[in-house]
Amino acid sequence: MEEEAGEKPGLDWSAAPKDFQFYHMDLYDSEDRVQLFPEEHTRMRREVVQAEMTKEPRAAAKGRAQRDLQEEVDELAHLYRLEDDHELGDEFVGENTLRTGVSDYPPYVMKSRESAREQRDWRFGGEAAEAEDLSFGGWGSRGQCQDLREAYRYTRGRSSEEYECYVIPEEEDEEEAPDIFCVTCKTPIRACEKVLDEHKEHEVTPLDKALENAKDEIHKNMFKLEKQIIEMENFASHLEEVFITVEENFGRQEQNFESHYNEILEILAQKYEEKIQALGEKKKEKLEALYGQLVRCGENLETCKELMETIEEMCHEEKVDFIKNAVIMADRLGKFLKTKTDVELSAHPDFEDQTLDFSDVEQLMDSINTIPAPSAPVINPQAPNSATGSSVRVCWSLYSDDTVESYQLSYRPVRDGSPREDQAEFTMTVKETYCSVTNLVPNTQYEFWVTAQNRAGTSPASECAVYMTAPSPPILKIKEIRSCEEAALICWESGNLNPVDSYTVELTQAETPEASGVTESVVGIPTCESLVQLQPRQSYTIYVRALNLGGLSARSKPATVHTTGSYFHLNKDTCHPWLTISEDGFTIVRSERKTPAREQLPSYTRFTRCVAVMGNLIPVRGHHYWEVEVDECLDYTVGVAFEDVPKQEDLGANCHSWCMRHTFASSRHKYEFLHNKMTPDIRVTVAPKKIGVLLDYENSKLSFFNVDISQHLYTFTCQLHQFVHPCFSLGKPGCLKIHNGISMPEHMAFY
Amino acid sequence: MALKQISSNKCFGGLQKVFEHDSVELKCKMKFAIYLPPKAETAKCPALYWLSGLTCTEQNFISKSGYHQAASEHGLVVVAPDTSPRGCNIKGEDESWDFGTGAGFYVDATEEPWKTNYRMYSYVTQELPQLINASFPVDPQRMSVFGHSMGGHGALICALKNPGKYKSVSAFAPVCNPVLCNWGKKAFSGYLGSDQSKWKAYDATHLVKSYPGSQLDILIDQGKDDEFLSDGQLLPDNLIAACTEKKIPVVFRLQEGYDHSYYFIATFIADHIRHHAKYLNA
Repeated sequence: MEEEAGEKPGLDWSAAPKDFQFYHMDLYDSEDRVQLFPEEHTRMRREVVQAEMTKEPRAAAKGRAQRDLQEEVDELAHLYRLEDDHELGDEFVGENTLRTGVSDYPPYVMKSRESAREQRDWRFGGEAAEAEDLSFGGWGSRGQCQDLREAYRYTRGRSSEEYECYVIPEEEDEEEAPDIFCVTCKTPIRACEKVLDEHKEHEVTPLDKALENAKDEIHKNMFKLEKQIIEMENFASHLEEVFITVEENFGRQEQNFESHYNEILEILAQKYEEKIQALGEKKKEKLEALYGQLVRCGENLETCKELMETIEEMCHEEKVDFIKNAVIMADRLGKFLKTKTDVELSAHPDFEDQTLDFSDVEQLMDSINTIPAPSAPVINPQAPNSATGSSVRVCWSLYSDDTVESYQLSYRPVRDGSPREDQAEFTMTVKETYCSVTNLVPNTQYEFWVTAQNRAGTSPASECAVYMTAPSPPILKIKEIRSCEEAALICWESGNLNPVDSYTVELTQAETPEASGVTESVVGIPTCESLVQLQPRQSYTIYVRALNLGGLSARSKPATVHTTGSYFHLNKDTCHPWLTISEDGFTIVRSERKTPAREQLPSYTRFTRCVAVMGNLIPVRGHHYWEVEVDECLDYTVGVAFEDVPKQEDLGANCHSWCMRHTFASSRHKYEFLHNKMTPDIRVTVAPKKIGVLLDYENSKLSFFNVDISQHLYTFTCQLHQFVHPCFSLGKPGCLKIHNGISMPEHMAFY
Repeated sequence: MALKQISSNKCFGGLQKVFEHDSVELKCKMKFAIYLPPKAETAKCPALYWLSGLTCTEQNFISKSGYHQAASEHGLVVVAPDTSPRGCNIKGEDESWDFGTGAGFYVDATEEPWKTNYRMYSYVTQELPQLINASFPVDPQRMSVFGHSMGGHGALICALKNPGKYKSVSAFAPVCNPVLCNWGKKAFSGYLGSDQSKWKAYDATHLVKSYPGSQLDILIDQGKDDEFLSDGQLLPDNLIAACTEKKIPVVFRLQEGYDHSYYFIATFIADHIRHHAKYLNA
């Protein structure tokens, strides 16, 4: 059985591309898989069947069973068209075309073939011994099987996985007629056989259960196998890449060597020419000198001979003549002898020691493994979003012909107004064509340039490129964040001295069961303030980032916004001098002590007559609700007003404000709902301790409620052509407490 | 308890109907008007009872106040009974407009000859609600009451005498302190006898003083140019003072320039319907 499974890894490795292609569909469909096997494979299968049959003699009813089995096997084989070589041939056409696709790498393919053959040879040797033990790996004693499989896996590597996988379908093929499974014999049998014969005493399990166990096993192994296939595919493609790289690199190196050797040979030839020429010249010079000397020597000799002859002739002359001539001769002789006869060799015959200077050649020889000094690298412009507040990632490239050992990256900050030479310069050596430069100042420009080096020397510097660090994170003004049910107004400080390009607000819904945890971003905000739309009755965590050419800053410290009710702060700039606002910002106090009644100067922002303060409500035209806790006996005014309400007038005394005023005199409560100095005549029997104020822009309504008893007090219909803000005034010493962030009680929806 | 439909008119998607039935309490045929909002076709709706003023029948309110739109929007069934028994042939019942026919004052009379028929308090608080609950798609747990003038007095005493029975109460120009005004004195002495201590049981201002303090939000609108206000028939200040003392929540709105008519009612009817809807639909 497992021969077939074992055959799988044993398949010729040249078929690897085919396998890669078909793996996934094969995995779950063993029938199709079998069709892909080469012819050889079906032969193998038949052998196995025979091997299987050799075990049969142990059975009593061997003859019949054998026949049955043989028939079944033949039938199955026919069913699966295992014998149908034509179809297999068709399959292989595809395989061949695929193979041509990788034939660019003949060594690779050849090698694979070899190793595959080795593996298969090994398997042929080992399989006979193992066949019997492993034939029913999925059944019977699991522990034992597991051990065997482990051993098998160990010796055969990954292929054993595949073996486990493919062993099962074959088992199934054989199990059509049998309906129970004999655990002892590890064979499927027919129920009727159980009663008879040798299975009588044996343990049996229902075939279905056995099948299920086997299938579980298969699926587990198939999963492993699938993973392995993916790994192998990845590995193969990686190998291909490496292959190409090696080929390219070596090709380049060969070219390199060739050009270098040619260069050296040229130089040597040139040197030879030079030397030969120099030698020839030297020879000629020496020979000429010697020849000249020889000539002069001969001339001397002749003169001497002539003198000798003359003197001899004189000796034969008469005395008188002799004397006469002797004096002349003596002079002449004396003169002659005075002339130096040069017997020094004008040229030495020995060869001068000509030391051949090969130093330059040696240098060339040395440099044959390196390359000429690189040319200047090309520095890249800054990639968007590649910088942080303290670092930039600088990238550059080299000319492909250059070989570079390292780069020297230099930089200095760019500052307006001071010449670049004044700035400190930093240099670092890196091996890669990029470098993350750290410890920089946020939101600052730096200029970078780079040189390349190898053993042959240093390149010229690249052009300068200006990189910019990301900004510092902005600082959220948590105390100024306002919100309502639909939106929040977020404000922050830049946190950077230099301007930045824009800001990004990030918001995440806080941990609630239904929160998705998704972070939304509002980008491209030019100012230090943003109105972000939100969902009602949620909590959000908000961050701000600053953006410049270099990238995004880190997140600011978070702020939390709750979109329950409206949330505003009191605007201290509007606060009448007699009022103080508590530390939490929500209690307004007018103290008992009499402040000298000094007339305040009129002001545009600050209340000067009415002892009031204004809140900063978010500018959103929706619903806003807040509550004010009051003392029953306190004189107070609560309401809304336009920002430009005349600050020297009482609230409600003009067209810019709408408010509820309570006065308490001679134990009578008086409630007025003032706008433009007018109020309806309304009497309220229960003095509110907490006033609910509902501002509804959509319906142009401003309503007041007694919160504790859900009592509606009054509703203004007001034309709110611009945004209004809450305002609060105290007519007598006392205090008001503002409650923010409360959702509007349901009953108020009726107003 | 057989109901006889007198009329039915579609109005703001719902139906304004008038029925007649034989009243057990009043021992005569009585008509009442009922508005069924569109919502009543599919669900049980709260019922809001309107008590009319002197001389009125069930017709005045349904034809003059213009309440239908608000009732339709808020899904309220509005029931408007007549103001007194009719056709009982009691001597003197038609002699004056402020006593007898059209002036039942929402009391159960104890004096002859009125005590057999003039049981308007029981009629509007017991018999009619039972009839309505049994015959129409209303939620018996959610009912409120409001009225005008004498009906305002009726609404206030119904609510104050039955804490918790009505979710809310409101009134237009109610007779707040009948024991002290001429209408009240005439009616109470006629129906209840000369013992003024019995009258207090039907006087809102007095009832407030003994009200046990169940949550009740009272809305009262009063026209400032109402002749009966200046005439001393309505006396809202007495009620307000009592409510202030007993801390019973009242918002009393003195409306500049309005009189006692249905024009005044029509102006603020939507506020009142909303006031009741807030409690009935909570």
